[in-house]
Amino acid sequence: MYILNSILALSKRELKINYRNFSDILSIFLFFLLGILIFVFSVGPNTEILNQISISIIWTLILLSNTLSIRKFFQDDFDDNNLILFHMSGLSYELIVLVKIIIVWVCLQLPFFIIIPIASILLNIEFQNLKIIFLSFLIGSTIITCITAISGSMNLLNKKNFAVGGLIIMIFSIPVIIFAVNLVSESNDIIRAQINILLGIMLFFLSITPWVCSICIKFGLQNK
Amino acid sequence: MKFLINPNRFNKFSDFIFKPLVFASFFTLTIGLAFAFFLSPDDYQQGSTVRIMYIHVPSAWLALLTFLIMTIYSIIGLAFKIPFSFIVNAAVAPIGATFTLICLITGSIWGKPMWGTWWVWDARLTSVAILLILYLIIIFLKKSFTSVEMGEKITSILILLGSVNLPIIKFSVDWWNTLHQPASISKLSSPSIDPSMLTPLIIMTFAFTLIGLLIAIIRIKTEIIERKLR
Repeated sequence: MYILNSILALSKRELKINYRNFSDILSIFLFFLLGILIFVFSVGPNTEILNQISISIIWTLILLSNTLSIRKFFQDDFDDNNLILFHMSGLSYELIVLVKIIIVWVCLQLPFFIIIPIASILLNIEFQNLKIIFLSFLIGSTIITCITAISGSMNLLNKKNFAVGGLIIMIFSIPVIIFAVNLVSESNDIIRAQINILLGIMLFFLSITPWVCSICIKFGLQNK
Repeated sequence: MKFLINPNRFNKFSDFIFKPLVFASFFTLTIGLAFAFFLSPDDYQQGSTVRIMYIHVPSAWLALLTFLIMTIYSIIGLAFKIPFSFIVNAAVAPIGATFTLICLITGSIWGKPMWGTWWVWDARLTSVAILLILYLIIIFLKKSFTSVEMGEKITSILILLGSVNLPIIKFSVDWWNTLHQPASISKLSSPSIDPSMLTPLIIMTFAFTLIGLLIAIIRIKTEIIERKLR
């Protein structure tokens, strides 16, 4: 019961912080929409070409806008030693990581369900396809959030090279992009197989992420 | 086998093995190159370009072997807290990156006359390119921390995560329908390559492994000395 209470308190605190820094989240979504504009400008307003690559554009921009959110996970709490306080109040680091992943997913990925339809209007995606995009996004966004958490915990003490965190996210998100992007054009059997593969990757990352992140955080706290 | 995890034992062992290794690698490389350039026959389809294989395949093998060694040493280093394994990781990563680059470049030179393009987005090629990027990220990540110890540990976690790519590279030719030909020599019972080409290939692989070992020993010794100075 005590642990449940502290988990609730922690998630309430995280939600509150995210609510007060709402402009931060909004600017990530603006990055997403602006990215679509840039893509349209660079490809040209030809609807045939845009129709072919629209889903790839959306997925690429989801990935890129997630790389901006590395520091949202642990950086501030690590810098002012709040992570140690959470740990002293009876939560293991794995649990803290899990709570943070869930809260960041709610704050950062859930609003994409509103923004992706807007983007699909802009890019002329048919509404029947939106169902499959949502399904793949539901699984893929979880994986990308886990990878971002891993990369964020790895780069806690990284003061010299900020770009390398984004590189780590992008290189581990390659399977997500491969299996999520070409879902729409495929037949039912292949969709089922690819969704199963995505689910497998998601379960793998959900199981290892708290563990890897807590190891990285412990290393960071030792060397601080 | 203590020289694999103990720096002092490693120093002694490497002093003992260094000169024989130099001679052996020089010897095998000479024989291998002689075989590769003059004594092995031309391919009946590919002509003389098949000789690129004698550089391409050994360097690909070394690129994978180096990452495997780094993976094993990361497990040892993280599980048993042995600092020597981090020294090995730091010393060996640029070697692996170089051999991956050699593999990609020779493959692309070989691909131009055979497939008609320098590069195709085929499963094997893409996964090896990802391996190169992974090597570079590992090198960069290690250098981006002010504390050396932290960089080593985080890097070995990244190596463990990145080792997922190794089986993908190995089996990419079997899982996907690719332009790259499937493995020719790993089927030990019946290799699908003629003995007159297999012999120089094996000699060259041996020579490349010896050279890689030689460079690795030099780099590890330098790394040990650098850490003693610190």
